[in-house]
Amino acid sequence: MKTTISALIRPYRSVSIIGMCKNAGKTTVLNQLIRELNGNGQTLALTSIGRDGEDKDLVTGTQKPGIYVARGTLIATASDLILRHCDVTREILATTGISTPMGDVVLLRARSDGSIQLAGPSATSQLARLREDFFRAGADLVLIDGALSRKTLCSRSVTEATVLCTGASYDKNIDTVIEDTAYHCQILTLPETGDGALRRAAEGLEDPRSTVLLAPQGPWVLPAGLPVADALRKEEGRGARAVFFGGALTDHLLKPLIMSSEPLDGVEFVVRDSSKILLKRDNYEKILRRGVALRVLDSVNLVAVTINPFSAYGFHFSKDELRDRMEARIGLPVINVREDAR
Amino acid sequence: MITLTFAQRENIGFQYVLDTLRPSSPYGSERVRELRPFLPEERPELERQLSNIQRVLEGEAACQSALNQLLRVFMTVKHIRPTVEKCLETSLNEIELFEVKCFLLRCHEMLPLFQQVQSALQWEGIGLEDTVQALDLLDPERNRVASFFISDNSSPLLRSLRREKRELEEQIRRLPAGEEREEVQARRVRVASEEELEEMRIRRELSAALRPHVPAMLYNMEMIGEIDLTVEKARLARRYGGVMPTFTEGPLEMTDMVNPKIADLLRQQGAAFTPVSIALDRGATVITGANMGGKSVALKTIALNVLLVHCGFFPFARSASSPLFHQIHIISEDLESVDRGLSSFGGEIVRFNQVVRQLNEGFAFLLLDEFARGTNPDEGAAIVQAVTQYLDRQNAITVLATHYDNVVRWGRAHYQVIGLKELDLEALKLEIAHLSGDAGVSLISKHMNYGLYRVEGKQDCPRDALNICRLLGTDQEIVNIIENLLTEME
Repeated sequence: MKTTISALIRPYRSVSIIGMCKNAGKTTVLNQLIRELNGNGQTLALTSIGRDGEDKDLVTGTQKPGIYVARGTLIATASDLILRHCDVTREILATTGISTPMGDVVLLRARSDGSIQLAGPSATSQLARLREDFFRAGADLVLIDGALSRKTLCSRSVTEATVLCTGASYDKNIDTVIEDTAYHCQILTLPETGDGALRRAAEGLEDPRSTVLLAPQGPWVLPAGLPVADALRKEEGRGARAVFFGGALTDHLLKPLIMSSEPLDGVEFVVRDSSKILLKRDNYEKILRRGVALRVLDSVNLVAVTINPFSAYGFHFSKDELRDRMEARIGLPVINVREDAR
Repeated sequence: MITLTFAQRENIGFQYVLDTLRPSSPYGSERVRELRPFLPEERPELERQLSNIQRVLEGEAACQSALNQLLRVFMTVKHIRPTVEKCLETSLNEIELFEVKCFLLRCHEMLPLFQQVQSALQWEGIGLEDTVQALDLLDPERNRVASFFISDNSSPLLRSLRREKRELEEQIRRLPAGEEREEVQARRVRVASEEELEEMRIRRELSAALRPHVPAMLYNMEMIGEIDLTVEKARLARRYGGVMPTFTEGPLEMTDMVNPKIADLLRQQGAAFTPVSIALDRGATVITGANMGGKSVALKTIALNVLLVHCGFFPFARSASSPLFHQIHIISEDLESVDRGLSSFGGEIVRFNQVVRQLNEGFAFLLLDEFARGTNPDEGAAIVQAVTQYLDRQNAITVLATHYDNVVRWGRAHYQVIGLKELDLEALKLEIAHLSGDAGVSLISKHMNYGLYRVEGKQDCPRDALNICRLLGTDQEIVNIIENLLTEME
């Protein structure tokens, strides 16, 4: 029997769906999930990070599928969208006071099937709060439609599991699609650090963007402007077993380290979550070759990758080739949503 | 008009008092933001508000549980005045109707609690309207649940449209993807838009039906704010010892005044605030004292408590009687110069001139803290003497704090900071001798009595500055020279 997305996420009560690019098929996955779960007696709850579910893609102008929900579904979306673009019969349950450019986020229950548009909160803390509101309102499963490049918001502090959508819209070259998706999967699934002392130091930072060295004498919060490579050579930093980067880990930041002669073997580099890793693939690989162990404070539980072999720009890959090669490359279940959606 | 700048309100500790208020409802917070001093002609309203505070203090114990429950309901109320006002002009959308329903539900919960509280406290001019009829419009089935849904029963058309939509949705669920399903989907979209139109018509009807209830809702918002603020003012009075003031046509007298901002600061440093008492008449009163604080504290405390009375608070005092002023002005060097690019003295003079020009606009309360401190002592003394002489004749109560000599003879009363007057200086000197450096200074300020006493008859000029020199171990030869010079001057 073919694996379905609903089967893969069955153990979880909150799932986020994120895309590698626009038109990666997020909404198709969402609709597919809604269909698969319909009729099993579960109450679904939907919201998004930022806006999604428009008829037309605002960036590419291509036709996009709307989100079609079943009656009983709980929805959190911006008030303007409720008033103009939702054709379900609505019961308003709560106003949340969370504001978006399209009005405050409102919680409602669909009293009929119908189309909706989603525009939810954009901060992790708001999403986590909303998820709890959903559970209190009787939700069994909360689905969060993630937005482009907002991977920070699908860490475990918000959703228990994550589905990554990719496809032909990402690039014309099938190798690039596979390699870049694999790279993203690798970053998304970086393990959490097991270093309790570093976690405590990171969580107690006065300026959350500071860098901390975990030296033999104890944690050392680097003064602003002191490069890590220099700090590792100093008396206070020598022999550090881990470095926490409060801000983003960028190529610019990493280059001096890659070029330095400091022994980095076995040193942990830790960031808050995988969205803070903004590295070109070759720099990422170089730093791993230096023996650095990349870790996060808050990890993502990636349970599946979905593929859309059709590009919004008018071409397509062989669906079997894409699926088979992707599966072999990333070692996670890969699902072709277009095929499964008939 | 009484218009104190934010810096002045901050400086005298008024903002500190406002910041300790914790209103439960957004309407209470709004009241705090919009607080303004009452004018003499508004005295009846001011007295009504003050007497309501008194009623809380006297009767709270008899209705504590109902009052606490009422405040808990206040905490769940949202600020929706703009929505309710909008209802007067146009129809509300479903989210707005939801907000209105929630507000009406809260009012419904409040009413019995308020009635219990009111029968114990007998507040004057405070009430809550029963808005259950408005609630029933939005909750015809009386489920009293905080969600909003236009019921199928609202109209036969709505019911049949929703039934039709439901049937089409069932078909869509059963049909495989394809032309037939798309056609049913298109039909469903048409029915959904008809449903939308019918709902819009019903919302228009509901809004029109709500319209006559809008004044009652607005009244309740006012009253929630007023009850909230009154209860908070009572709590404040209990916390810092406030008293119901009485009103006079001229004299101002307050005993044992406290300034919470300074008192709390001192408490953190392990010291206690010395209450300030003063009786003032129309004319100028002079406060003198050595340059180690005290005068300014007294001045701020007086200003704060007079302003509190004008804003409908109990002053923090053991007893208080005060006139109502048309204007209150504080002139203080540290509040003038900074943002005007003038020298501190220039800034003070500009401000003083403005105040003088306004003096004919009604009974005034003026506070001058170390006026002309920033200029040379001879001229400064002359200026302060002249200003005192002039202000003593105006339709105003003026308090001047100064350390210039010969000012007091131009005022009609003279207060002195008690300072070190009542201390055993020899014992203190021995104690300080065992300390090093700055410790002596903080010991002195700890022993300094910042209270005021009224100097009657001939000026009894304290020599606290000299005493401070002695206590801090200034060379005996220098102390002797100072003593000789002072004797010569007298």
